Order: sequence, then C-alpha cells, then structure tokens
Amino acid sequence: MTRAKGLMRHRLLCFALLTVVSLLAVPASAQTAAGPGLKLPSYKRITLKNGLTVLLMEQHEVPIVSFSFMVKTGAIADPEGKDGLASLTAGLLRKGTKTRSADQVAADLDFIGGQFDADASADYTSGSAEFLKKDLNTGLDLLADVLLNPTFPEAEVTKMLAQRIDGIKADKDEARGVIGSYYQSYLYGKHPYGRPTDGDETSLTHIQRADAVKFFETYYAPGNAILAVAGDFSTPEMERLLTQRFGAWKERPVPAASLPAPASFHGKKLLLVDKPDSTQTFFQIGNVGITRNNPDRVQIEVVNTLFGGRFTSMLNTELRINSGLTYGARSSFDRRRVPGPFAIFSFTKNKTTEQALDMTLDVLHRLHEKGFTAEELKSAKEYIKGQFPPRIETSDQLARLMATLAFYGLDQTEIDGYYARIDVMTLADSKRIIEQYFPADNLVFVLIGKAGEIQGVVKKYAPKMDTKSITEPTF
Amino acid sequence: MKSIPRLVAAMALLAALAAPGAPAQNFDVKTHTLKNGMKILVQEDHSIPNVALYIFYRIGSRNERPGTTGLSHFFEHMMFNGAKKYGPHEFDRVMEAGGGSNNAYTSNDVTVYQDWFPRTQMEQIFDLEADRIRDLAFDPKMIESERGVVASERRLSVEGDNAGLLSEQLWATAFTAHPYQWPVVGWMVDIENWKMGDLRHHFEMGYSPSNATMVVSGDVTADEVVKLAEKYLEPIVSHDPPPKVTTAEPEQLGERRVVVRKFAQLPMVMMGYHVPQTDSGDFYARQVLQTILFTGESSRMYQRLVDKDQLALSIDGSSPFAFDPTLFEIDAQPKANVDPAAVEKAVYEELEKVSAQSVTDQELEKAKNILLARFYRQMKTISGKANTLGTYEVFFGDYHKLFDAAEQYNKVTKEDVQRVAKQYFTAKNRSVATLVPEPEEEKK
Repeated sequence: MTRAKGLMRHRLLCFALLTVVSLLAVPASAQTAAGPGLKLPSYKRITLKNGLTVLLMEQHEVPIVSFSFMVKTGAIADPEGKDGLASLTAGLLRKGTKTRSADQVAADLDFIGGQFDADASADYTSGSAEFLKKDLNTGLDLLADVLLNPTFPEAEVTKMLAQRIDGIKADKDEARGVIGSYYQSYLYGKHPYGRPTDGDETSLTHIQRADAVKFFETYYAPGNAILAVAGDFSTPEMERLLTQRFGAWKERPVPAASLPAPASFHGKKLLLVDKPDSTQTFFQIGNVGITRNNPDRVQIEVVNTLFGGRFTSMLNTELRINSGLTYGARSSFDRRRVPGPFAIFSFTKNKTTEQALDMTLDVLHRLHEKGFTAEELKSAKEYIKGQFPPRIETSDQLARLMATLAFYGLDQTEIDGYYARIDVMTLADSKRIIEQYFPADNLVFVLIGKAGEIQGVVKKYAPKMDTKSITEPTF
Repeated sequence: MKSIPRLVAAMALLAALAAPGAPAQNFDVKTHTLKNGMKILVQEDHSIPNVALYIFYRIGSRNERPGTTGLSHFFEHMMFNGAKKYGPHEFDRVMEAGGGSNNAYTSNDVTVYQDWFPRTQMEQIFDLEADRIRDLAFDPKMIESERGVVASERRLSVEGDNAGLLSEQLWATAFTAHPYQWPVVGWMVDIENWKMGDLRHHFEMGYSPSNATMVVSGDVTADEVVKLAEKYLEPIVSHDPPPKVTTAEPEQLGERRVVVRKFAQLPMVMMGYHVPQTDSGDFYARQVLQTILFTGESSRMYQRLVDKDQLALSIDGSSPFAFDPTLFEIDAQPKANVDPAAVEKAVYEELEKVSAQSVTDQELEKAKNILLARFYRQMKTISGKANTLGTYEVFFGDYHKLFDAAEQYNKVTKEDVQRVAKQYFTAKNRSVATLVPEPEEEKK
C-alpha cells in the first residue's frame, strides 16, 4: 500500500486489471542481435522420470538465478462455492512445511535476500523464486521444501482467509483495482472464467483447511507441473541439482479440469456498481475475446496496438489527448486456454460520463468503418518490434516465458518467427481482423461510479441495467 | 510505483562487488559535460538492441508557490504537447512510429523524462528532445485539454485512492513552512487556475540545460552519444538555475494529528517522522533500520502487526529521495473492525523496542544481504541502470558516491541503527493521519 510521495506518472503504462496482450513472442536476449532473424536464446527441455517438465536457459549477465514454476491447474478447478481456493492454496505453500514453520520459511528466505511468490490465475497456478548465485543451494532447498512439503497449518489457513476477506474489502475502496473482477463476473456469468480467481468475501468463508490440502494433493503432481530456470548457472549442474530435489516427487494421475468454450454475449447489457464516494466513473466495455493460441494472435496484437494499446492509440487520442476527458484509455485482450476477455477501459469525472462513453462507442464504430492507413499499420509494426526486447531482458522474464510457452504447448518458434509474422501483415489483414475479433454491436458494459449522479444517463446504453452496491460481498 | 529509497540502498552496494572475492561487475560509466553545462552519463550495455535515455531536471514541487501548486507536474505533461519543429501530437507520433516509447515522472524535487527505444532511433530521439528543451510551445488549446487530463489524474490517485488522499493530508500536516507540505499533483483548485504565464515562468526557471543531467544506458557507445549531444543539445543556451529554496521546516515540537472521514470499508493509518535529506550522514544507518523493520515477512513490523497480533493487512515504511529534510512515512492498512489506535500502539511499541535495545547481529547481516540482492535486481535492466545512476548523481551530487556506499553500509553498526531509531522515532517528531470510514457519503 505504501507509495512514495510524489511520483506522478505521465501516462498509464499498464493496468494491473487488464492482462497485457503480448507475452507473445520474444526476440532475443543477451547474445542475439535485432532483426527479422531474432531468436530466443537456446534452452534445454528435459522431462524427469516422474513427468516433471524442466526448462533450462543460461544467462550470465547478472549473478542471479530465476525460477518460474507452474501447476497446470488454476482457479477454474475451484469447487462450486469455493472460489479462491487455488489461489489460497498457492499462498499457503510458504506458510509451513514438514520441517519449517511459516516464520522459519520467512526468516530463511529473507536472510539470503531471496524472493518467492505463488498465486493462481484462471488457467493455472504459477509462481516465481529468485536467489543470488552464491545462495543457490540454500534457495533451492527452500523452494523444493515449500513446493513439495507444505503442511497447511490450521492457524495459518484461518489467518490467511481472514486477511484475504478483508483484503477484498480494502481493494473495493479503490475502483480501479476491482473493476476487472466485476467485468469478468458479469461478462462470463456461470462460465468458470466468471468466478473471481481470488474469491470473494462470501466464497472465502466456505473454505477450510481440508479444501486446500485436497487441492494440493490432487493437482500438485510432477506430471502436472513445469519448472523453468534462467540465470547464472551451468546446465548440467542445474540438471543434477533439480533431479536431486525434485526427482523423488511422486508421480500420480491428475484429473483434467474441464473447460468449455464460452459463448460471446449477444446484445447489450450493463452493470452499474454504486460507489457513493466516487468522483469518477470507471468503465470496462467489451465481450469475449480470444485464446492464447489463436492463429491470428500477432495480427490481433497489431490492430489492438492501434486501437487501444499505446499512447497514440485511437482510444487514448480521442479520450485523453484531444478532449482531456481522462488520464488514460486503453483496450486489451487477455488470451487464455479458451477465449478470455476483451475490454476497453477508461474513466472520467462523473459529469462527463455520458460524453466519454459516447466517444468510446464512436471510436469503436470508426475502427469498423474506417480501419487504418498504411502509415498507421507500419507505425504499429515498428512500435511492437521496438518495444519488445526489454520484455525479455531479464532472467525472470525469460523463465516465465519458457514456462508459459510450455503450458500452452508452444515452443521457441513462437518467438523466432515473431517479427516475420508482424512484417507480412497487410491492410487487408487488418480489415479482416477488425471484423472478426473486435466487437461492434454486442457489448457488455460494467461501470463503477456514483449511481446517484450517473444512473440516469448510463441506462441508455443497454436495454437492461443491473445494479449492485460495492459493499455487497460478491463481484 | 517503485520504492526509491530501496533503490538507492541497493545501488550503494555496488562497491561490494568490487571487493576482494566478490564477482566483478561490468559497470563502466563514462561522463561528459557539454559547454552549456549539461552533464551526460553513459553506461554501455549491449545485451539488447535498445536504449534507455533519462533526463533529470532539478526542479519539482519544492520550487513552487501557493496558488500554483502542481505546476511542475503539469509542466511535465506539457513537455509532450508540441514545440517548434514537432508540433502538437508529433512528439509521441514520431517516437512511437520509430519504435520508441516514453514516460515521465515528477517528485517533490525532480522532473524526469524517460525514453525507451531501439538503437536505430537514436538520432531522432535527440532531435525530439532538443526541440522541446529549446522551443517548447504553449498552445492554449493543448493547455486546456491537458488541464482536464491532470484533473483526472488527481481524481484517480487522490480522490479515488484512500492511500493517496491520506498521505497528502499527512504531509500537509507534518510540514507547516516548507514546500513539501503540498502534493506533487497540486491542489485541485490550483490545477483549475494556473495560467499560461505560470507555465512560461516555470520553463524559464527550470529547463536550462545546465539544470539537467542526461543518463543513457543500452546499446550505444559513449562517443556516439556525445557526438549527438554536441550536435543537438550543446547549442542550447543555459541560464540561471531555479532560485535556492531557502525555507526550512522548523523543528516539530509535538505530535500532530489529522483525521479524514469518508466512505470506505476499511480504515487506514499513516505516521510520519521528520528525517534529514538523502545526502546526509545517517542515510545508510536509516536504510538498514528500515530494512530490519519493514522488509519481508520476517521483518519486525510484519511479524508483529500482520502475523502475530493480526491487526493489519499490510505495513510498510520508507522515505523518498529528497534535497531537503523529509518524512519517513509508515503506512498501515488495519484489518476490518480493528481500531487504528491499536495499530498505532503496536507500531510505537516496536519503534520503542528498536530504540531501547540494539538489533541482533543476524538482523544486521540479513539487512545487508537483502540490500545486496536488491542491488542486482535493480541492475538487471537498462532502464533500471539509467534511473539508478541518474538518481544517485542528482541526489548525492556525484554518481561516484555509489562506489563508496558499500563501505558505508559495512560501517553501519548495531549502535548506529539504535541511535537513528532513538533520534527520529519520537512522539514529539510524529504526525499521524487516520482515515475513519463512514458508511455513506452525506446526502446533499
């Protein structure tokens, strides 16, 4: 919660609530030069006898070793009424093992300046750890311990549940941080993507220690896991160290979590969440989007860059630069196993709510009517390629990339052919992409704001307006 | 937002790397000063074909006056809105079309412009930067739309964010004379009222090349950077720096309290203690103390408030980089139905403990390890290097001090940690801001 006084950003570079579009591809890191021939630094993929997928990439720039792990089951496997269980289970990993109390884990980790995090998203559970090279052995012992031997002490479960319930209430005091959860719930309804991955104030009260133990025992299995390592190590040595720690992890079958493809919403609907102290209206507008592996993903990224993915995008130009209605306006696709959400996001003072929403719909209309010029298309291509290298600059970024690619069944060709796929895109392609993937008339609206001041003007956007209070214990 | 004090601390440990037995770190910085006084730092890093270019101007909200608070930050926005060669919208359009992006931030003390771009765009970036430093235009239409943008930013980060709102009140309470009393974003009524003349004056006051430091990290050579700087920036004439800020905050003679009542589900509490400016002798001891108290789940404050007593969801403490004496701010998010007074009491008990008894050897060693690891993390990216080098150069007056810092950290003793705790964490030196939730906004 602490924020240094005073650092004001000139632009909204990213919204935590809108998952960034493109972990798409990666040009090069250290050793590779830029250009269409970009290649991901080579890495080794092995499978241990128990089924654990291990990915190893040496990066010797800084004496750090970064780990990224995945359990291929996420919040979509939360039992009915127990939303937030996958996330809670991940959070509890460090809260006590067979040989260490939660305090000891914290003390051991902090003493070597290490980092460890774990959480669940809809599709998977994932986490990261990072240690200085000189502390690698100590760090690995710790990592293996929390991943393989957590005991989920009753007192820690109770404590964390209480913290998370209050944490959601605290989050709801800031509209920007929670609008994504309301949007996904309203957009997806009963589909698993409609559930809050962290749970809500109600679902968390239904979770008990036994649930976390069961989730762990069911899904945390070597054949259902990926461990990626990037950093300052030698591959044969790391292979040996990992086999030592994770080789004895017992193999067992894991049930597949079923995940139907969600249907797009037809028509229009609107949810207004009343936050009585709000001086601005926050909104997300969109529909069901695309999958992680959509064959058109690169071209969709190019189009979205122009529509709402950078500072000079159509949305930000109209809502911010030309009119001063907002500090920022963006759009993004959250790409998942089955189609994830597409959303336009912005906010404006209560009095200009209608003006900003009308303008947003105008911009969307213009996207479909007019499309882009050749110059704009070229600009977007240069922008994406120019901004990409810093996204795979560090060992933690590379470890996460390897793990994510493996989870979605992709490999380095995703990166090695990235620039070439951008380069071949034509204006005709952009027309098709807009028609096929960007909603026009079928739109779901979610607004958080002061209902007393704005409900009169916002109800015109849909035949049906739903309302709820921000204090209701759900999303 | 990045926690700046941590960054400095981490950087300080650079020297440890050069110590016997430590791995060598390639961190060769070349410097050059243009004839107009602008200093340039270049750190070559060819790991990716990209460049991070930061320009630090030594001007921030401390150089403002009542009535035009927030002007530095507003001006930061205006630097993107058109100059002579590149008119309105052109700066961003040209930069993005060439593969680059940008941002900027303003603090109490500095305004920093950041460009991230592929190395092929180097010369274009210098052309863009020179144009706006030399010939910034003040288009009345752009001023009005940008005024709306900044008002929206304030609604987002203050009115729509209880932590932002409460922190603003804390600083306004702790400072009675010094300009740190007003927020960087400015009071809303000032945002609505500043005039074209105010902007012109601000430009003339703060944007002399001699008042700036440029830091470039990435796939460049020092020679090419200097050549481009000589071509594009050196011809720009310098003038006097901003007038010295002479107002000093008088010593605080007793606890000050402020209460904010508004709609919220959870309360909040913040405490501020006056501490010296960044470039002061106790800096290193305070960093170690801060790490022991607040960093990690094994830290004293987390252990006590979040884990054992379960009074708070989170607790953190830090102080910003500052040219003048500033605040050490402690922020706590109490749990629902916990009286903020109980949180306060536990915090004070921990502060008293660390003042009364020395920390352990293990805590001291842990803090040093954490700071070392943090240093490496900060040095992982060209952007991190540019920001860190520039921050050090500006706030310590010389980036070389970086190389003394490890020695300074090693000199910190348990007694130093105890001494600074005792000196600054006193009730008399404290301001407290509390947010008390009200069920619903008062009906008009």
